[in-house]
Amino acid sequence: MAVSEVFSEVGRQVEGFTFLEAAGGIEAYRLDTNGLQVLLMPQNVVPVVAFMITYHVGSRNEPTGLTGATHMLEHLMFKGTERFNKARGTSVFQVLQRVGAQVNATTWLDRTNYYALLPREHLALAVEIEADRMRGALIRPEDVEAERTVILNEMDRGENDPLRNLYHAVWSVAFVAHPYRHPTIGWRSDVENMTADALRHFYDTYYWPNNATVSVIGDFDPETALALVREHFGPIPRAPQPIPPVWTREPEQRGERRVIVRQAGQLGLVMIAFKAPAGLEPDADALDVLATLLSQGRNSRLYRRLTDAGLTTLVVAANERHHDPGLFYVVARLAPGKSHGEVENVLLEELERVAREGVSEQEVARAQQQLTALEAYGRDGPFAIAAQLNEAIALGDWKLYATYLDRIGQVTPDDVRRVAQTYLQEATRTVGWYVPENG
Amino acid sequence: MTRTFAERVTEIEAGPCRLYVLPVPVEQVVTLRGSLRTWPDFATGETLVQRLTVAMLDRGTRHRDRFELAQLLEDRGAHLSFTSKGSRIEFSGRLLRRHLADVLPLLAEQLREPRFDPEEFEKARLHVQAQLQQQLEQTSTRARIALSQRLYPPAHPNYRRDPEAELERLATLTLEEVQAYHAAHFGANELILVLVGNVQPEAAEPLVRAAFADWPAHQATPRFAAEAAPKPPERVLIHVPDRQNLDVLMGHAVALQRQHPDYLPLYVGTYILGGNFSARLMATVRDEQGLTYGIHAALEGISTEHDGHFEIEVTLSQDRLEQGLEATLEQVQRFVDEGVTEEELAEKKDTLTGLFQTGLSTTSGLATALLINIERGFGPGYLDRYPEEIHAVTRQQVNDAVQRYLNPETLHTVVAGSVVEMIH
Repeated sequence: MAVSEVFSEVGRQVEGFTFLEAAGGIEAYRLDTNGLQVLLMPQNVVPVVAFMITYHVGSRNEPTGLTGATHMLEHLMFKGTERFNKARGTSVFQVLQRVGAQVNATTWLDRTNYYALLPREHLALAVEIEADRMRGALIRPEDVEAERTVILNEMDRGENDPLRNLYHAVWSVAFVAHPYRHPTIGWRSDVENMTADALRHFYDTYYWPNNATVSVIGDFDPETALALVREHFGPIPRAPQPIPPVWTREPEQRGERRVIVRQAGQLGLVMIAFKAPAGLEPDADALDVLATLLSQGRNSRLYRRLTDAGLTTLVVAANERHHDPGLFYVVARLAPGKSHGEVENVLLEELERVAREGVSEQEVARAQQQLTALEAYGRDGPFAIAAQLNEAIALGDWKLYATYLDRIGQVTPDDVRRVAQTYLQEATRTVGWYVPENG
Repeated sequence: MTRTFAERVTEIEAGPCRLYVLPVPVEQVVTLRGSLRTWPDFATGETLVQRLTVAMLDRGTRHRDRFELAQLLEDRGAHLSFTSKGSRIEFSGRLLRRHLADVLPLLAEQLREPRFDPEEFEKARLHVQAQLQQQLEQTSTRARIALSQRLYPPAHPNYRRDPEAELERLATLTLEEVQAYHAAHFGANELILVLVGNVQPEAAEPLVRAAFADWPAHQATPRFAAEAAPKPPERVLIHVPDRQNLDVLMGHAVALQRQHPDYLPLYVGTYILGGNFSARLMATVRDEQGLTYGIHAALEGISTEHDGHFEIEVTLSQDRLEQGLEATLEQVQRFVDEGVTEEELAEKKDTLTGLFQTGLSTTSGLATALLINIERGFGPGYLDRYPEEIHAVTRQQVNDAVQRYLNPETLHTVVAGSVVEMIH
């Protein structure tokens, strides 16, 4: 079922804001003084509200030597400002967790987000804290030192997982120029050497109202919320210089690439990735449908050919939608006793079959129904909505959140076949194997 | 005036099933949670048979094969899943409201009439084998298993067997054993179904009644040890090759059940020590000393039927192991020696009640909270009482409970990973 909401031109007249547009139950405004974008999604189902700020900066914006800066800065953003800091007993966690908020932040390729899900009466506190640390973070050298070892431990934790290591190896081989090639947590040597000055520079480059989107979702009064945003964010100026664009374009890949990851373990993995279009491109919708009909549920193609046949214990297809062209991939965990080669062959055979023979109306309809339901479930509560909206914001257009199901509903079997032919090519594919070694 | 949960939740005896319905004004979605009591024999490791039985539930029923079964759900974008959880089987699902009449009968069919196809049995066995093999390489799981074996006897529901032993047993399990387990342990015993979302009791009740109407109870009886039987405390190293990060668990048994008046004071106390980011352990061992990415303290495995343990979980890099353990113990010792302050207590009481409120902001959060408290025998009204009970906890109660139940000297320490000194 498609979202029935039509785009609306009608918004509230609120002093200091320009109403931009509305869609899918969300109203978009711009704070006139500094260009901060504000999204409001009121729904009074339960007395809680999610407040989120998304900065349009991620590991995509990091040059060599500064990989991991986005993530490290995100950690430092919890180390305090003059106003909110641990020495005063007013750190972000102390203040927000005190009122029962679920607080955290995440970083990824295209964005950084900070959020709090909290009882509705405490919304003002979350707004005040985010506005304060947009320009007030201390980023002290001693805090960078303390946090560096925390992050190195986080990295060690991640590296315990062979699936994570294979995933990063494939991305770093698939991309040679574009920064999507490095993991968001950064390369170890960059994290080891990152300085407070470098982080300060990164912060001063990207943390400005005209490079951020604020979202308020849940039980709140829209006019009160806008007034709070104006009060706290209004005095912050626009960035003094333009936000630097990422101009690196990944060169065309003209042949298969392969990578092997060896680590002690039990069951092997095969990952096959293809260059995919940018997340806002219409072809990405057909690739989402393709990923779904390949691996969602027992009747999906790959499940039947691989897992049901005892070759794998898990097979997942995914189309990762990002700001710039990313990857469409399948990843499979080998069943005990099965070989990488046989699983890779079946995977390739099935992908080629889609391109050669196309898919049925019934498969597409089922995938659309699954995506529709998934989307409905994914909107269970303000926090879940914030998480979905955050990814649409990261791609460069929050309205993807509102139009997504319409877009999925328009995908035809011909589209699926066409995108399979266009993107699932030998020349643009990267194959990765995780080969367990017996330690 | 906001209505209480006790007022909003409708409880219905729908045949042998206790049905609880909480309508919430969300679009389309209905979340389903439920459970039934199976009573496996923990001492003989029957939980593995139960796990395999559960793995057969979505592999076809007497009336439809695995693909027809899956198609019925997939065509509707609905999900149903089943989990083996100690002495219960739990099930959960999500569906759109218009599919209630299709999905509820299917839930009953899967629970009551699995197909037990021999080929599917072999596939299920292979899946469980893969899961167990993966456990071998997971440091956190290995640490958890080792700690459970230090603290509990095999008959205790919190005891976990080694993956190697489970793999051996798995290889000899037969389809007949699984079928026999289903016949003897699956029935409408303490059958609970919770529906939350865009659903009305009067729509659900006849469907549930019809689906479970003539399902008899099984005759299995409780067979488990309710008390821990800790070994002498020591440090145990579990070598997992090629895993540089070390997962560390420190813990000791706590002779306390969930309904005991000391439980909430001890729970609040433990939360002050290591419940969240601003709790003592994160504030010191991570935030000040930079020794770990994550450190938490919690009460684990305590139910209304058996006792459990106190646990600290910390992740440490190789070069920070000793320093990290030392810093952690220092904080625990200080916590036990000095107790909590009024200020900390007030803060964490607000945190816990606020978290409770935000946790109930989704249909799945609501359904899970309802199911847990119905299983405990506390009823839906506990969702109203819980914040009051937390607020009523006093500093004296917390400090008394900490003194009574926590003792750093009896902590076991389990380290799992590529511990350098273990390599020879």
